[in-house]
Amino acid sequence: MRQICVFLLIILSLLGCTSTQDQPSVYLSDRSPLPTIQDQTVVPLRVSVAAVISPQGTAESYQPLIEYLSSKLNRPVELVQRRTYAETNQLLQAGKVDIAFVCTSAYIAGHDDFGMELLVAPQVKTEAVYYSVLIVPFDSPAESMADLKGKVFAFTDPISFSGRVYPTYLVAQLDSDPSDFFERTFFTYSHDNAIKAVAEGLADGAAVDSLVYDFALQNDPTLAQQVRVIHRSSAFAIPPVVTGPQIRPQLKATLQEILLGMDNDPEGQKVLQLLGFDDFVTIEDAAYQPIREILANTPPLTP
Amino acid sequence: MNIREKANSNRLWAIAGGVNIRTKILGIVLALVLLLGAAVTLQVRATVSKTMNIQLEEQSVSTSRDLAARATDMILINDMYSLHQLLLDTEANNSNVRYAFIVTPDNQVLAHTFGDGFPQDLIAANTVETTEHHRTVILETDEGKVWDTAVPIFDGQAGVARVGISDQQLHQTVENITTQLLITTLLVSAIGITTAALLTWVLTRPILQLVRATQAVGRGDFSHRVNRWANDEIGDLADSFNNMTVQLAHAAEEHAEREQLRVRYVNGVIAAQEDERKRIARELHDSTSQTLTSLLIGLRALGDVCPQPEIHARADELRSIAARTLDDVHMLALQLRPSVLDDLGLPEALERHMADCRRHYPINIDLAVNGLEERLPPNIETALYRITQEALTNIFRHADAETASVIVERRGNKVITIIDDDGKGFDPHHMSNNNGHLGLYGIRERIELLSGTLVIESSEGHGTSLFIEIPLPPE
Repeated sequence: MRQICVFLLIILSLLGCTSTQDQPSVYLSDRSPLPTIQDQTVVPLRVSVAAVISPQGTAESYQPLIEYLSSKLNRPVELVQRRTYAETNQLLQAGKVDIAFVCTSAYIAGHDDFGMELLVAPQVKTEAVYYSVLIVPFDSPAESMADLKGKVFAFTDPISFSGRVYPTYLVAQLDSDPSDFFERTFFTYSHDNAIKAVAEGLADGAAVDSLVYDFALQNDPTLAQQVRVIHRSSAFAIPPVVTGPQIRPQLKATLQEILLGMDNDPEGQKVLQLLGFDDFVTIEDAAYQPIREILANTPPLTP
Repeated sequence: MNIREKANSNRLWAIAGGVNIRTKILGIVLALVLLLGAAVTLQVRATVSKTMNIQLEEQSVSTSRDLAARATDMILINDMYSLHQLLLDTEANNSNVRYAFIVTPDNQVLAHTFGDGFPQDLIAANTVETTEHHRTVILETDEGKVWDTAVPIFDGQAGVARVGISDQQLHQTVENITTQLLITTLLVSAIGITTAALLTWVLTRPILQLVRATQAVGRGDFSHRVNRWANDEIGDLADSFNNMTVQLAHAAEEHAEREQLRVRYVNGVIAAQEDERKRIARELHDSTSQTLTSLLIGLRALGDVCPQPEIHARADELRSIAARTLDDVHMLALQLRPSVLDDLGLPEALERHMADCRRHYPINIDLAVNGLEERLPPNIETALYRITQEALTNIFRHADAETASVIVERRGNKVITIIDDDGKGFDPHHMSNNNGHLGLYGIRERIELLSGTLVIESSEGHGTSLFIEIPLPPE
């Protein structure tokens, strides 16, 4: 009987031995309030890029420009992104960003609503224009917007000109509106995601910024086997670089000078090349008149 | 094997041998089940802990990579609400996740799941280079081990995602498994004990029956038979035992018959001997004594009538020879069969025998007789007389004793006879036939014929005592 007791004791002690604990190095229960993030002593220049492409794509593409501006201005430059064009416009209106790369319709809305000012516009292939291209999956039989009736359509941003206003205009030309014409629509909030949605078959069609489409095709040539263009709009004035109404004129002039002079600077050329731009040019509000006309012929957009 | 090992081994054998088969089998079953249960429990604990540790680490990595991937856009577009929601979802959807938080590139906590406050030292507890895929460290916290994985978000440009996987649930799981296994072991033990008890009952029932039967056979009861319960070795043993009992019974019967024959024969021999002795004694007494008496009278007459001194002297001489011869014949007749035994009974016969002995041997002999007012059955009287005669003869011849005593006493329905002396004694365990102990065998034989008992107490130099007890037949 004593042997059995000893045997059981050994087993119990073995069971007990398996969970030894070391001295903890972190006390999860000992919590203290986080310090509030200190205001930066040097106020950075804040640059916003409207969500033409996804936030990661934007951050990757515009980082060299941010660094270039920082070195030219000799002050920190911060990239501020928001999900929608409307949010970017609000930042500009409130003066929370200094300059912004915005979509054409966002510019028109900002200009008309609160006096958004044109700074410069990029030139691509020597033209400051772009197109809205209607794309479908590569194996789709559709040849025009009319063939996409009853299909799933991907819009980019609710107020994007090339991604929402123009396709809605095309549907209006067919005497319909998107909610009736398409079986279903959804927002991708960026043009590269709209291309992916079509390429992966999530959507039967989408209208995207030609600059983004060409850039995407250049980065990933296999896209040519996944999507094809069935319609290309007439040329529209390119999405501009803008400032809010409160910007100091001196800063505006300095920024304009830096951006316009980039093509004469080897460093600036590299940055422009990475962005897919030839250079920056000045542009007048009149260049956007055709877009205002299209907007006038398009039924009001539901948010 | 040294002494201690040997002692231990002996003790083990003593313990193993000290318990019955039932306990042994129960012990074996219990030990096996407990050993197996303990071994399996330990093994499963170890394996499960190891596997789950690996899984926790993998889960830590995958959860934080997932979090980093999904948080990227939210951080870039400053969507703090969604980011916070994402962290809470990450914690809610993975029960092992103890915490999740996002650190900005300049080491500020952007969002976290702790609610109120943030643990000190936690940010510094794990760092990751922007070029690394991830880095996992095991943190010893006050809530147990935590697998903390840091994953750079957007190559570190958007900060670092940190996820802590706690091993609390693992511990709980391991404890649950252990408890389950121990309960199972206990249940199996209970079943094992029940089964073993049943098994031992089945096994030991025939053995116990065999033991009882053997005891019965030992008492001389050959009527016991054991059942053949099973068609196994014990069944064979039962059969063999039954056969043995039958044969033993047969042999015992034969032996009893032979013994009966022998007793009858010996009784017949003794009766014939006694009759023969009686006849010879009577012949000696009646015929030879008379003849010798006549011869004596004739010789006296011859002496009286013959004046010649020479013839007178010769006649006197012959007369004295004849008188001695007559005495011898008397003595012989008395020894062969004292008529007084038939006529006056055992006490008187013994008394006279003693008197004769005193005359012939230089020894003090006491006789005490109690309770023999009534005559005993003739065969018992004869036997006791002969036994006493034989025992005294032994004493005279071998014991070199100075005194001897004989006590004959009737106690209820048995007669006790004690004959002792102060002679040189002998070792009763080493009696041999050729050493003058033939007489003792004769005594024993007579006693056993009368279903009596004989106890001999003797040792070298301390005299000898014979205790004889003979039952009297019911009246």
